[in-house]
Amino acid sequence: MAARDVPTGRLRSLRPSAPLVTGVLLVAMPLVFISDFAHTVEEQFCVMLILLTGLNFINGHARMISLAQAGFYGLGAYTAGILAARSGLPPALAFSCAPVVVTVVALVIGAASLRLRATYFTMATLGAGYVLYVLFGRMTWLTGGPNGLLGIPPLSESFGGTTAMYVIAAALALLGTVVAHNVAHSRTGRALRALGASEPAAAASGVRALRLRLFAFALSGCYAGVAGALQAFNDTFVSPSPFGFFTAVLLVVGLTVGGAGRPAGPLAGAALLTALDQLGTDYAGYESLIAGVVFLVAVQAFPDGVSRWLGRVR
Amino acid sequence: MSLLLQVVSAGLSVGAVYALVAVGFGVVANGTGAVNFVQGEFVMLGGIVAGAVDERWHPPLPVSVLAALLAGAVAGLLTAPAVTRFSRNRNPELITLATVGLAVALKAAVLLATDRGTYPLPHFFGERPLRVAGATVDTQTLWNLAVAVVVAVALSAFFRRTRRGTILRAAADDAEMATAFGVSFGSTARWVFVLAGALGALAGVGLAPLSVMSYDSGTLLGLKGFAAAMLGGLGNLYGALVGGLLLGLAETAVAGYGSAGYGDAVAFVILLLVLFTRPTGLFARRSVSRV
Repeated sequence: MAARDVPTGRLRSLRPSAPLVTGVLLVAMPLVFISDFAHTVEEQFCVMLILLTGLNFINGHARMISLAQAGFYGLGAYTAGILAARSGLPPALAFSCAPVVVTVVALVIGAASLRLRATYFTMATLGAGYVLYVLFGRMTWLTGGPNGLLGIPPLSESFGGTTAMYVIAAALALLGTVVAHNVAHSRTGRALRALGASEPAAAASGVRALRLRLFAFALSGCYAGVAGALQAFNDTFVSPSPFGFFTAVLLVVGLTVGGAGRPAGPLAGAALLTALDQLGTDYAGYESLIAGVVFLVAVQAFPDGVSRWLGRVR
Repeated sequence: MSLLLQVVSAGLSVGAVYALVAVGFGVVANGTGAVNFVQGEFVMLGGIVAGAVDERWHPPLPVSVLAALLAGAVAGLLTAPAVTRFSRNRNPELITLATVGLAVALKAAVLLATDRGTYPLPHFFGERPLRVAGATVDTQTLWNLAVAVVVAVALSAFFRRTRRGTILRAAADDAEMATAFGVSFGSTARWVFVLAGALGALAGVGLAPLSVMSYDSGTLLGLKGFAAAMLGGLGNLYGALVGGLLLGLAETAVAGYGSAGYGDAVAFVILLLVLFTRPTGLFARRSVSRV
């Protein structure tokens, strides 16, 4: 895998990078599909892409499966939403607080749970994500409870509408992909993948396991915070239901089927999840059936993900 | 005082169900090393099958119960190849992930089959609760408690004293070595998942008279059962029993004395505390290594 990911010399320049593919896709999509509905779907795609690109650090590179991403996503949405609706902070400031808060929470949860072995780490993140989900629904005085949080102002008075939101979402998704690309090709990224491949070997080479995993986990939390804030300002409404256990599983499903640890994995996974979501609005129930069966087969049949067939993307 | 009794009785009532679910987790962990996320859905399936049979044909109660146990065992029998066959994988983490997918699919299939219907089941010993010192004790609670204890004792004996039980434990300890001695991994997986399916269904049947079962009753129950299993030490069957009861008591204590809304979070806070402080469970001996 390592040899495949880090080609050198002339060949390297011929292969499209993940940010390039993402950029072309994000610019082309709204030009091809123009309706307001299409722009909503495309924005959804951007949110998914950010979530999965974040998840890819801990799940793909470090090979520790996190089920907390949905909870972090919700925490980002509620942080941005509550600050914008209740505190009178300017919306743009409320937006940028979300990733900060989620990163801090991820650092705290990660510091405690990343000492555990892989399976137990997954269980700990499941617990943490679920506690967050319960809090969203129960802290009614702050979050509005199961009925949801209302009264989130638009991101900017002069700069509203679905098209503008799409531009913001696409820009952030692209930024996220570029950062992820650079991290993956940095010393840190290589150390992270070495850690994912074999902890004893990486530790013997001087990789500081806990610190590096904490970095990956916090980064995935930061991405989830951005995605959540986007979602909050896009819907101008936040309710607990999209941030539960099913979403947590779905995100891991998307990334696994897309290709965890592969440059194009989040892209393929986000496309898959967005398509599944559209299917779900028409055929409730079939969505989860398909998601479950696809996941069941995919994790066993190709643990490496479908983006193996997009192998040329680096 | 009567509030205390009430909390204890309600706690033991849910705790017994958690204990049964936790024992199911322990059985699969003992045989394959994996965490079986379908466990909660087995519980849901058992409750719904018993309720549906009861509603459609009105047979004597034991018939509905047996039908549910059979359904659970069959579901377990199908689960084993579904989560291990595709890649002939024996990696506990891959099996764990596969069970997550299967759980989601099974829940959706039941949703589509029942159209979000709910299925009640009558109490096994009549609807009238017992009165003990000012608190009401549901007869179903006593039944569930008895079943949980009997099951934990019987399974523990099975794993310790019988040839098959020893083989299953050996397979969990070192799958490769067990295979080298001629134990097929497939048969191990079949054994533990059938046991787990029947146990899950048993828990579902016991729970159905206390709370109406529908397609989404299982997931949360499974997650809480897992927390109980971790509390007692995954794979330790008596530990699972105690863990389940403790969890049930903690949950109802928080709901009874604190705020009812946060009851659901208790299990997960406990799960986190156990994972962070004693990942091998409350009763682990020093020498035990996680397998």
